[in-house]
Amino acid sequence: MFRSLTSAARLYPAIPVIVVLLVSFSTISPYFLNAGNVEAMLAANSVVLIAAVGMTLVFLTGGIDLSISTVISASAVLSGLVMAATDNVALGVLTAMGVGAGFGAANGVLIGIFGLTPFITTMATQLIARGIAFVMSQGVAVRGTPFWVMDFGFWVWLGIPAVTWIAFGVVLIGIAALTLTTWGREVYLVGSNRNSARFTGINVPQIEFSVYFLSGLLGGLAGFISIANLGNAIPGVGDTLLLIIIGAVVLGGTAMEGGEGSVLRTLLGVALLSILINGLNLIGIPFYDQLIVQGVLIFVGTWLAMKLSRRRS
Amino acid sequence: MTQLKTLLSRQKWLAAAIATIVLAALLSVMSPVFLTFSNFQSVLVQASVTAIMAIGMTYIILSGGIDISMGAILFFTSALFAQLMLDTSSYPLAFAAAISCATLLGALNGALVIWFRMSPLITTLATYSIYRGMAIHLTGAQNIPVPREMGFLGNGRILNIPVPIILLLIIFVIGIYLLNKTRFGVFVRALGNSQRSAEETNLPIGKVTITAYAIGGFVTGIAALVLLARVGGLQSGIGIGIEFTVIAAVILGGTKLTGGSGTIVGSVIGAVFLVLIDNGLNLMNASPYIYDIVRGGVLLAAVVVDRLSAYRAEQSLRSQRSARLRETAQA
Repeated sequence: MFRSLTSAARLYPAIPVIVVLLVSFSTISPYFLNAGNVEAMLAANSVVLIAAVGMTLVFLTGGIDLSISTVISASAVLSGLVMAATDNVALGVLTAMGVGAGFGAANGVLIGIFGLTPFITTMATQLIARGIAFVMSQGVAVRGTPFWVMDFGFWVWLGIPAVTWIAFGVVLIGIAALTLTTWGREVYLVGSNRNSARFTGINVPQIEFSVYFLSGLLGGLAGFISIANLGNAIPGVGDTLLLIIIGAVVLGGTAMEGGEGSVLRTLLGVALLSILINGLNLIGIPFYDQLIVQGVLIFVGTWLAMKLSRRRS
Repeated sequence: MTQLKTLLSRQKWLAAAIATIVLAALLSVMSPVFLTFSNFQSVLVQASVTAIMAIGMTYIILSGGIDISMGAILFFTSALFAQLMLDTSSYPLAFAAAISCATLLGALNGALVIWFRMSPLITTLATYSIYRGMAIHLTGAQNIPVPREMGFLGNGRILNIPVPIILLLIIFVIGIYLLNKTRFGVFVRALGNSQRSAEETNLPIGKVTITAYAIGGFVTGIAALVLLARVGGLQSGIGIGIEFTVIAAVILGGTKLTGGSGTIVGSVIGAVFLVLIDNGLNLMNASPYIYDIVRGGVLLAAVVVDRLSAYRAEQSLRSQRSARLRETAQA
């Protein structure tokens, strides 16, 4: 019993921390487990969850996608503009996904096929996406979001907001694709040992292209969801998300070096960070002290996850 | 021509220098004011903060690391200085505390990377959040003006040379000396070239790494004081995203992100290049939001060109080798 518990903690290092946080926050604040608060927490973090799934795929191959945060902004703004002009929601979704896919494909070609360094490449596309978001919106929130989209942000089904259901759907698809398909196994292999992956006949550039493409696509979807959540497309929406997205992925126990991790772990990492932030807000900790707590948690959590995975292997 | 090519591929900063000169020539055609001595000075002054930080970042990147928290160290130092000036109005105390804290925070980054054997990216991402939180905690999220005579550091002149340029020059000279004339400099490059052979040859990896990050912190402290003096007070937005500008300057200057190869001259030229781009866009009355797009595009172009030249060098090496093989086979 104890053994299986410790091995679960090794696989999912976030679980014990989540349990501790849940127990302590719910004893400190009676509002914490209130349905309204849980709903708000779930809805607010759907954007991060969707993007974090994309980041997980990239991390698994040993890369990084710094552009995902501002791709969220760019796709939100362009989608918002298209919807404001046409009042057509389907067109808005398509625009958001298209913009995300475009950035993802650009990253994928440059990194996977040209062999550029992921860090610099996505740093450059991050700047470009941010610039596009601000130029197109003139730096202010895009008005004229169709009523349906704003309303969609408030839909709740079985106690869980619709936007969160979408994020859960992305998580499920991610888990299935990584565990059940050949592609998934190839992604892990590319991350754990590039050379042996190449020698076993895996098309490494293609796998790398696919993870950056999907990361961009998910960034686009997250951008659209951000409009539903906030009611408007905000050009700066992604700016502060990068730390949270990367933090959630590594806290969940996915290694930045590649080959180690899973989408389920990322789900737990996002849960951990969002519970922490929500709880700290509820007990009235100012935002700057939250930054300190977040930073310490990301550092200690990553270190522990690394230790545990080393011991396992 | 081939000689030029090999020279360019060996001394990567030369390419950046040529690009900078071409851009400067273009700008002087666009605007008659550009090619004046006072504008030259103002370009250097604008580039000084980024350039000073880029010199420190060069050490860190050369050693195979990265420091995402530099902007947060910049902000923390500014906050500490402004708060101490407000509380004690003692310049010696504020200067000493600010600079030593900046150095300490940098060294802490290096120490964490070494002690916990964690990826520098994650480590400094975490300390970015911590340092920034600490800074806002310190000031209670308030904007604090600094005394007017502080402006000397940002806008003053000694012998008719702007103070930021003098500071940049001093750090530049010391930086080049440390990197090229001391054992520490050799160790930094060796460590970045191959962590493994550094371990096998018993290099003092811990000391070298911590020193590199501490240098990064130290120069960031100086840059913070210059920036604070130029802005006139502490503002909540100071330092946000500046680490990416600094990294861009270092990369544009021809330093390899994976470490081992690069120059300080290149990083300073990279910083000047970025300012020239801003100047050019300013001359064209471009929207300030376009700056990010152009910077991203330039950075992307630089790495693509670099990759292409590396690819060509590889190809020519391979064809030379096969030609030699064929010759020996025939003989």
